[in-house]
Amino acid sequence: MKIALASDKAGFELKEHIKSYLQGEGKGYEVVDLSEKPAADFVDSSVELAHYILDGKADRGVMFDEYGTGSAMASNKIHGMVTANVVEENTAHMTTQHNGAKAIAMGAGIVGPKKAEGIVDSYLGVNYAGGRHQIRLDMLEKLI
Amino acid sequence: MIIALGNDHIVTSVKMQISDMLKAMGNEVIDVGTYDNTRTHYPIYGLRVANLVRDGKADYGVVLCGTGVGISTAADKNKGVRAALVNDTTTAKYAKEHLNANVISFGGAVVGEHLAEDIVKTYLAADYKGEDDDLVAKIDALEPDNPEQHDNPHFYDHEMKLWNEGYYHD
Repeated sequence: MKIALASDKAGFELKEHIKSYLQGEGKGYEVVDLSEKPAADFVDSSVELAHYILDGKADRGVMFDEYGTGSAMASNKIHGMVTANVVEENTAHMTTQHNGAKAIAMGAGIVGPKKAEGIVDSYLGVNYAGGRHQIRLDMLEKLI
Repeated sequence: MIIALGNDHIVTSVKMQISDMLKAMGNEVIDVGTYDNTRTHYPIYGLRVANLVRDGKADYGVVLCGTGVGISTAADKNKGVRAALVNDTTTAKYAKEHLNANVISFGGAVVGEHLAEDIVKTYLAADYKGEDDDLVAKIDALEPDNPEQHDNPHFYDHEMKLWNEGYYHD
C-alpha cells in the first residue's frame, strides 16, 4: 500500500516520526512524503495531499498540523475527499471500515508520537466494509 | 443563541442530552433529526444543519454520528460552513478562536457524556479572535458554490430510492 504524508510546520516533527515508523522493517508500505520541507500552512499541505490521493497517486494519506481539525476541515472541502481528524485508535479503524477515509489528520499538539503510531496502525490495518455504508459515501460524493 | 442539532441513528440519545443541556443554558434548539434509532444516513442530517447555518437560520451547528467523521464531513462540504471534528475542549476552543468554525462535531459513541457537554460548552463560550481572516478565507475559497444541494429537500431522493429498492446491502 502506498501512503502519502503531508504537513505544515507545526506537524512536521510528528510527520517525520511517522514517516520513519511506516518505513520500518516489515511494515511493507511505500511512503511518499509531500512535505520534505513544511508547507506554508495546513491548507496547502492538506489540499495537496487530498488531490494526490484523489488522483490515484497514493492509496491513503496521513496529514499533520498542530490540532488536526484544520487539515480535515480544509481537505474535506475538496470534492470526493473524506479526511478524518483522529485522536484515538478506535476512530482510526472505524473510519476506514465505515467511511472509507482517504486520509486521516493528526494534530501534533494533541497526539503524542506513540499514540500516533497506534493510530496509523489501526487506520491502515483494516479495509473499507462497503455494503450499507456505500449509500453514505455516495451521498458524500454527491456534495460539492 | 440558536443552535442546529443533527445526528444519525447511532447517537440519538447523545443528541438529546446535548439538546437538553443547550435548552437549560437558555439557547433555542433546532433539531433536524434523526429522532429515533432506526437506521438512516448521516449525510442527510449533516446537510440539513449546514443549510441552517449557511442561511443564518442558526448561529451554530452541532453534528454527531458514531465517530463524528461522516456527519462532520457532510456538513463541511457546504459553502460558508466550516465544520470542526474534535475530541477535546482544547481543540474545540481552537476551532472557534482561530478557524471560526460554525459547526462542531465529536464522536457520540467515542466521547463520554461529561466530556461531550464540556466540548459543546467550550466551543460556544469561545469567540473567534479575528486574527486568522486570511486562513479562514483560504479555507472558504476551496468550496465552489453549490446551488443544487442548497435548501433542496429532494437532493437525496435518488439514493433513497435505491436504498428502498435494496440496492445497498451488507
